[in-house]
Amino acid sequence: MSIQRKFSIFRYNPNTPDVKPFMQEYVIEEPQSMTIFTALNKIREEQDPSLMFDFVCRAAICGSCAMVINGKPRLACKTLTTDFSGTITLMPLPVFKLVGDLSVDTGAWFRHLSLKTKAWVHTDKEFDPNAAEERMDNETALLIYEAERCIECGCCIAGCVTANIREDFLGAAGINRVARFMVDPRDERSGNEYFEVIGSDEGAFGCMGLMACDDNCPMQLPLQLQLSFVRRKMLAFGLSK
Amino acid sequence: MLAQKILTRNPKAELYYDLVELLTGVTLVGFLWTHMLFVATILLGKNTFNSLSQALDDYYLSYVGIPFIILVFMMHILTAGRRLPTRYQEQQIIWRHAKMLEGADTWVWVFQVITGAAIFALGSIHMWVVISGWPISAMTSAERMQAFWWFYLVLLILGEYHAGFGIYRQFVKWGWFPRKPLGYISKVITAIILTLGLAALWVFLKLGGA
Ligand code: HEM
Ligand code: SF4
Ligand code: SF4
Ligand code: FES
Repeated sequence: MSIQRKFSIFRYNPNTPDVKPFMQEYVIEEPQSMTIFTALNKIREEQDPSLMFDFVCRAAICGSCAMVINGKPRLACKTLTTDFSGTITLMPLPVFKLVGDLSVDTGAWFRHLSLKTKAWVHTDKEFDPNAAEERMDNETALLIYEAERCIECGCCIAGCVTANIREDFLGAAGINRVARFMVDPRDERSGNEYFEVIGSDEGAFGCMGLMACDDNCPMQLPLQLQLSFVRRKMLAFGLSK
Repeated sequence: MLAQKILTRNPKAELYYDLVELLTGVTLVGFLWTHMLFVATILLGKNTFNSLSQALDDYYLSYVGIPFIILVFMMHILTAGRRLPTRYQEQQIIWRHAKMLEGADTWVWVFQVITGAAIFALGSIHMWVVISGWPISAMTSAERMQAFWWFYLVLLILGEYHAGFGIYRQFVKWGWFPRKPLGYISKVITAIILTLGLAALWVFLKLGGA
């Protein structure tokens, strides 16, 4: 049995600024269950080829299909229409540059984050391609893996009040990224160097603890734990020198 | 980098601000809860209340405690208050955002800011009135409550809200305890203190009539 499902979708194209942003409604046949991503493709194929939205993997891996679904930042490919009754409202993620309609540029934002947090292993060791790989205990490996599960979708950034009003705030994804290197024994950065990167209102101390990041991360990263871990570390580093 | 920013750069500044925010927040909550327990001694009778007030006075605890709390209060306004969104557009963004997200913690924070600003005004008035009517005794307090019960009712509710959720969020930010039980415990303590406060207010109103 299929039902009629109404969508209310944000429309705006920065290339035609004369046309003010507006909400457009579409009605589609909904089979038993479909993802928002499938629904959007159906709308684009059958009704409106001009509708802009992003996707690549459609399997919650690439992080490109994040949008605000009925008020919450969610992945379109991981959210089912049957989770909602009635009209489904779709808005683009705030904070990121709006490409058009539901499409935003998270790439530039995350590139900036990587550069700013210097998100690579800092070491003076010469790499020897012939040597056996250094061993790491399982616990540490799991900690790193946990942080690395971030798919850079931007849901935590879009949900964060601080990131919405302060452009320089690195948000949960940024602080989580630094946490990842802090637990990595191969990274030789000192506490001082980490402090330089994130020991300010742009990083750890800008967070006000509203937990929209923790509530909305589609990968269920333990963001509250990561944020508070980094905050305590920054306190310790900051007071120790 | 810009010259004025190079000249004034202090990499530790924001750490110290956050630390002072933490310490003043915890101190104020500790103070408020203790203060409410002291006030609630009226439930045990006029004499208990008066002798407690007298004891605090005799051992100079009031003369050390009150200026200290005023100082902490002001330092809290400077540190926690720096998060106050002062620009119109910021306020609009936050308001829209809270409505859109329907995230409980985001709404709680919006009211944290609003109650904070209200306590700034009401708390200052309260301190002024009490200090200028020194010393504290059951009868003078009862008179004040009679005349301004609505003022105390509002201050009590705003203060408890601000303190209860404030301490919750501090623990969340610093991660000393898991989030869910923490919210529960802070709500229970707030409910207890609020009940004591309301009961004390009621007793004072009765006293005033006598
Ligand atoms: C002078 C009046 C006050 C103002 C203007 C004020 C303002 C604020 C603001 C804006 C915040 C949010 C800060 C943040 O999100 O980090 C805050 C947090 C807080 N306030 Fe107040 N407040 C006042 C009085 C009080 C009092 C009397 C108490 C204690 C009962 C208190 C306890 C707290 C706590 C525990 C926090 C959480 C701090 C944190 O999250 O780091 N405040 N206050
Ligand atoms: S907890 Fe911090 S990073 Fe997460 S949404 Fe709140 S302010 Fe933003
Ligand atoms: S931390 Fe979670 S919400 Fe934030 S970008 Fe990574 S996967 Fe997305
Ligand atoms: S399309 Fe890749 S995460 Fe949704």
